[in-house]
Amino acid sequence: MSQPSLVNYIVKRPWLSRFMKPLASWYANAAGYRKLGLRADDLIPEESETVLLALKRLPPKEAYDRVFRLRRAFQASLAHQLLPKEQQTKPEEDVEYLSPIIREIEAEAKERDDLESLSLNKRKA
Amino acid sequence: MISRSAIGRNAQFALRRQCCAKPSNRRGLAAAVSGSTSFSYDSSDVSGVKVASRDVAGPTTKLAVIAKAGTRYQSAPGLTSGLEHFAFKNTYKRSALRITRESELLGGQLNAHHTREALVIEAKFLREDLPYFTELLGEVISQTKYTPHEYHEEVEPLIKLSQKKLLADVSELAINSAHGLAFHRGLGTPLYPSSSTPLTKYLSDESIAQFAASAYSKPNLAVVANGASQADLAKWVGEFFKETSSSGVGLTSEATKYYGGEERIAHDSGNSLVIAFPGSSSFTSGGSYKPEIAVLAALLGGKSSIKWSSGFSLLSKAISAFPGASASTTHFAYSDAGLLTIQFSGSAQAIRDASAEAVKALKSVSEGSISKEDFTKAVALAKYRALEEGQNIESGLVATGSGLIHGGKPFQIDEVGKSVESVTADKLKSAAKGLLEGKATVSAVGDLYVLPYAEELGLKI
Repeated sequence: MSQPSLVNYIVKRPWLSRFMKPLASWYANAAGYRKLGLRADDLIPEESETVLLALKRLPPKEAYDRVFRLRRAFQASLAHQLLPKEQQTKPEEDVEYLSPIIREIEAEAKERDDLESLSLNKRKA
Repeated sequence: MISRSAIGRNAQFALRRQCCAKPSNRRGLAAAVSGSTSFSYDSSDVSGVKVASRDVAGPTTKLAVIAKAGTRYQSAPGLTSGLEHFAFKNTYKRSALRITRESELLGGQLNAHHTREALVIEAKFLREDLPYFTELLGEVISQTKYTPHEYHEEVEPLIKLSQKKLLADVSELAINSAHGLAFHRGLGTPLYPSSSTPLTKYLSDESIAQFAASAYSKPNLAVVANGASQADLAKWVGEFFKETSSSGVGLTSEATKYYGGEERIAHDSGNSLVIAFPGSSSFTSGGSYKPEIAVLAALLGGKSSIKWSSGFSLLSKAISAFPGASASTTHFAYSDAGLLTIQFSGSAQAIRDASAEAVKALKSVSEGSISKEDFTKAVALAKYRALEEGQNIESGLVATGSGLIHGGKPFQIDEVGKSVESVTADKLKSAAKGLLEGKATVSAVGDLYVLPYAEELGLKI
């Protein structure tokens, strides 16, 4: 799920972040998924164990809403239409709802790997 | 070439060095240690948490947090089981995996279980690791996250399994049914949620977290250790139990009242019959402790404590004529009530005959027609059992913790022995009479066509 990303590098530098912000929002709008009523997290590929587990852990309401957005987007795509303006995703609605869970699962897996390759130092008596 | 004698000599030196290079913390058996040989617990109050310990000499320690949150105190069915399964799961400080791996590295063992009155979270470890495990238990009770995904992925399936296990176990069903008949609510709640309990309605990560807030509040807790000095334990508890909430008033339940009655449950895989009478509360509760009930339990018995003999007990003599039936008498003692149960298992016909004989045996006790020898044997056995329970680390810990959180006293082994010895034959006779005159509890599980009704046994319901 995790691609190489410059986000952390940019967020840490306020001047750079201020410069990039308008660019990023322009890009997100231009990508077009918001016009189909989707959120950025709806686009994460589902074909991995991690994402499948994260989807299982979604609260029931979030999971229902996600399926609704996906079906509406399929329908709009089949009909070669964009959603009416008021149904499109507004930038403030486009929040992460799945990524925090994915990060949590990845942290768990990393911790497991780290503990698996643990080297021990004997306690000094 | 190296001469043979040179190698031989080096090898000898190496061997000698190996055997002397023992770690300095290893203690020989005869070395003087800090522990004492007394089996009584010291108790104190460390900033609101009740702490008791018994400094028995030895290299290992057992530490337990005992919360007044058994099935008796749960506010909805299944909450105690849920809370028990949430022990040692993710906390705000570290993950469940880390807790497991760290304890494994230290050679510790973690466990959580519950009784009708207490929820016990315990750790067994080497004596020098006391600070680590005190911190861990303090963290488990105050910092656990109660996440929804752990509830759905780990806790819920276990509870469902325990429901199924209970449903398949005839004797457990009968004991739970007898408790339900005898005490209705409170102590009568089944120890594990039964399979028809609507869990989804009551049980969720949120309801468990809410229950935990009151179950794990300071007035509701006792920390008990076996094999740690009171000073050390008090010091570490003072340090690591700071974040435990002290605001909660703790959980309460109504005073237990005995009702009695009869219940019959059809079941396909085995037969069990429980005849129960009101018993005595546990020793640690103080006032209403009646040692004659413990002696009566030993006298009725059923299972021999000696090999190759049916034993002296009245029940084992009575049922020896019915092969295929077995009986056992157990006394369940709680903080304000008790239940003396006689449980039969085996084939339905054998149970039917044996239970009639058993009631006759109980009547003979109430008429005073027991031999002096049997009485002496029963007192000795009851005394041994009471003392063994105190000496036994596991039950001693729970008994002491329950005693402390119910406002009583820690388990003091010397007094128990004395009170059991003070039972006389007359006291026993009047106790048995009282039981037969009062209402009995009869619960039959299995082949109901054959299993007897209370009326047929001559018991009052």
